Amino acid sequence: MPFLEQLAGNLIYGAILGAVYGLATMGLSQIFGVLKIVNVGHGAFIMLGAFTAYWMFTLYSINPMLSIPIALVIGLSMGLAVFYTVIRRLIGAPELSSLLATFGIGIFLEELAKFFWGPDHRGYTWNIGSVNLSITLIPYSKLLAFGMSIIIALILYSIFQKTRIGTAIRAVVEDREGAMVCGVNVTRIYALSFAIGIGLTVMSGVLVTLFVPVGINPYMGGEYTLKAFVIAVLGGLSSPWGAFVGGFIFGLLENGSYTILSLFPNVEPFSLTRFVAFSVLLIILLVKPTGLMGGEGE
Amino acid sequence: MRRYVRPMIPVIILYLTLLLVGLSSESRWQPVAFIMFYIALGQALNMFLGMTGYVDFGYVAFLALGSYGMALAFSSFSSLGLWVILLGFVLAIIMSSLLSLAVGAIALRLRGAYFAIATIGVNEGFRYLVEGVRLWGGSEGIIISSTMKDIFGSDLSNYISTFVADIMVFVIGFIAAFLTVYIINSRIGYALMAVREDEDAARVMGVFATKYKIMAFAMSAIFAGLIGASAWTLKLTYVFPEDVFNITYTVEAIAIVMLGGAGTLTGPIMGGLIYGFLRYYLSTVLPGFQLLVVAPLLVLIVTIFPEGVMGYVKRKVRNTRFEKYII
Amino acid sequence: MPLLELDGVSKRFGGLIAVNDVSLKIEKGESFGIVGPNGSGKTTLFNLISGIYRPDSGRIFFDGQEITELPPYRRAQLGIGRSFQIPRPFKGATVRENVAVGALFGTLSGKIDVDSALEIADHYIEVVGLHEKRNDEAERLTAVEKKLLELARALAMKPKLLLLDEVVAGMNPKDVDRVVDLIKRVKEEEEIAVVAMVEHVIPAVMKFAERIMVMHEGRKMVEGPTLEVLMMDEVAMVYFGESKLPGE
Ligand SMILES: Nc1ncnc2c1ncn2[C@@H]1O[C@H](COP(=O)(O)OP(=O)(O)OP(=O)(O)O)[C@@H](O)[C@H]1O
Ligand SMILES: [Mg+2]
Repeated sequence: MPFLEQLAGNLIYGAILGAVYGLATMGLSQIFGVLKIVNVGHGAFIMLGAFTAYWMFTLYSINPMLSIPIALVIGLSMGLAVFYTVIRRLIGAPELSSLLATFGIGIFLEELAKFFWGPDHRGYTWNIGSVNLSITLIPYSKLLAFGMSIIIALILYSIFQKTRIGTAIRAVVEDREGAMVCGVNVTRIYALSFAIGIGLTVMSGVLVTLFVPVGINPYMGGEYTLKAFVIAVLGGLSSPWGAFVGGFIFGLLENGSYTILSLFPNVEPFSLTRFVAFSVLLIILLVKPTGLMGGEGE
Repeated sequence: MRRYVRPMIPVIILYLTLLLVGLSSESRWQPVAFIMFYIALGQALNMFLGMTGYVDFGYVAFLALGSYGMALAFSSFSSLGLWVILLGFVLAIIMSSLLSLAVGAIALRLRGAYFAIATIGVNEGFRYLVEGVRLWGGSEGIIISSTMKDIFGSDLSNYISTFVADIMVFVIGFIAAFLTVYIINSRIGYALMAVREDEDAARVMGVFATKYKIMAFAMSAIFAGLIGASAWTLKLTYVFPEDVFNITYTVEAIAIVMLGGAGTLTGPIMGGLIYGFLRYYLSTVLPGFQLLVVAPLLVLIVTIFPEGVMGYVKRKVRNTRFEKYII
Repeated sequence: MPLLELDGVSKRFGGLIAVNDVSLKIEKGESFGIVGPNGSGKTTLFNLISGIYRPDSGRIFFDGQEITELPPYRRAQLGIGRSFQIPRPFKGATVRENVAVGALFGTLSGKIDVDSALEIADHYIEVVGLHEKRNDEAERLTAVEKKLLELARALAMKPKLLLLDEVVAGMNPKDVDRVVDLIKRVKEEEEIAVVAMVEHVIPAVMKFAERIMVMHEGRKMVEGPTLEVLMMDEVAMVYFGESKLPGE
């Protein structure tokens, strides 16, 4: 049964990619959860992470796993810079302002990337062998990306649960005024949460490159913005952990539907998969606007 | 009556000036038509973004569907002769309004952020549908120039795409402005104002928010579709999915509305004028990089000047005798 | 038949039960008060009645029909008008435009045009005494004026039931008296069947309400004639014990 084998193979691949998707969405949910701001420019930060990995690898032969901390530092500093120049002024402003501002920031980053690095598609190969699962071959690099995503998510989880900063962030999420009264510097918590969110996103961009052999280009982020929104809504939008689970679901869904769509003649499964992503988003919003795992909130 | 006439005076003056400048010499027509496109685009988007405070990141999809509507009329009904243009506009209206109703019925029940999220994918999603199932010529698009020559002959075709198409955009923009004045002064305008300012408060005061949001969305979509049909298909005589689903136009439209002043009548005209002018003359300096300028401009406007040029003017003329002319 | 009937209504937010199994009947013509300490669920109860939230359990009836599942705008048109504890005027619009929204959309009795709505608005602006500010933008009003604007906006809807969430909070005693008198007068003149007020300011409640309900931690504690209830020891315990004394 070649179809079932192919489906199984693609689903395994989907689960692996799903973990990376999950990580790539946590930053979005983190920022929304704490600041109640939707980062519409999310994908641009993934693109920056991807270019980080690309340049590190091609210029300095630094392997992608070692680029992760570099991407984190870049992401954290960008997050702080963006927060203190733009986002801070928009807290308490109408929602429209922050939507438009983050949208503009994302476009700006894309255009900067195009200005400096050109519009070409780039890629690199980091070949460290593969494991043979009889139905499919899985490169070790992708397994590493899978493992790294889970490790980073776990580290974030323990930061939230075990450290003072994590406690302060949770306090702000639960009761902003109350936290302020208790002496928490809310603006600083916002800055930190935003920076962590962007840091996570840029890091995830590094891992994404292991799945797009020649797909690194200034506009690659748009696709991930869309996917991240689907995943975030699946996971309830304001919970990074919901997002991580949502990533898995989406990875399976995407690769499953790709396999099925390939069966049809006259259809370009690759393009249509993205249409599926968009349809899933509308369907979830239709059925349960607050997300499949989300709670209350009208 | 005066409620409708007085605010239209500055609009008419601006449109007439622009038209006269454009007709004054042959070399001025192109820049004027270029600016006119952005004014009309701003006016169309303002009907939704300005009136409701909601943002549609997939807005360009309506222009795209409108341009496909016109192209399909040419490619499937060329036997109609001149009527094909009328049919094209009708198709443009139908297709763009159907998409707006489908998206609106699902997503406009939701609040701002969720709506914005839902629209992120509309544009790309639709483009991938067109390319994915090879709809309407798939990624090759539709080219109507030869059909057009067959129907109208090459002189008339030329006249249509270099002059009539531009005039149509002009007319569409003007009708949009007129409709905006009407809406602002009507029940719909009050409902939309209430929704924009505080949706919960509006709802407990009896405003059926979803209904009015969908109305504004559909009207805005229809005008976008008409602009796409004339400024793209009639003028350029081809439709390529890569061009018509290009997010650049969404960004430009939003920047124009915000720059001019969201929700004001004259704002999109000012915004389109300033933006179109700069873009026309700066595109020689930075070709292909207009977004590099527009994007930070947009960020700058929303963070430090959210009321926009005409929002500022409107506030300044409050309680003066100009008040009734600037809305 | 009561004008408003709540039947075992509950609402939870995560682990917290903000309104817990509250049943209540309010008759036509009543002046009803709701009191209770901070966080006892009074505003949430209003949000359930006006439809901002749907209850997790229980049913709500208004004027002879069940409204549990009706959206807020339908309830408003049936005759439920309300104010918000923290005023929420349409900030960029003028006072007239604010009030006109209520006249335009807040009734079932057919569509009226903008001009007649503005006339109705002028009437209620006069009633609450904001006449001189009628062309000002709402965001430029003082806190007290914003509360009066909310009152005018709700009145323009010609409500049968008027829900006022702490309208006199933060006012000085003179303003409190003025506003309570105004509400009493308007209730008679406009033939509003019921006014329900949530208040911390006990003198205002005593002056206004014939009957009150005391809420505590989401539950209805007692309900009855105002003075009787306020004399009860347990009420004094939960309420005055941790908040203000009568007459303070
Ligand atoms: N949207 C919400 N989400 C989560 N919790 C809420 C929400 N609204 C109210 N609560 C909680 O429900 C409880 C009841 O709140 P409510 O505002 O109804 O009290 P209240 O009696 O009006 O208090 P106050 O006198 O302070 O106005 C509080 O603990 C509050 O924190
Ligand atoms: Mg309250």
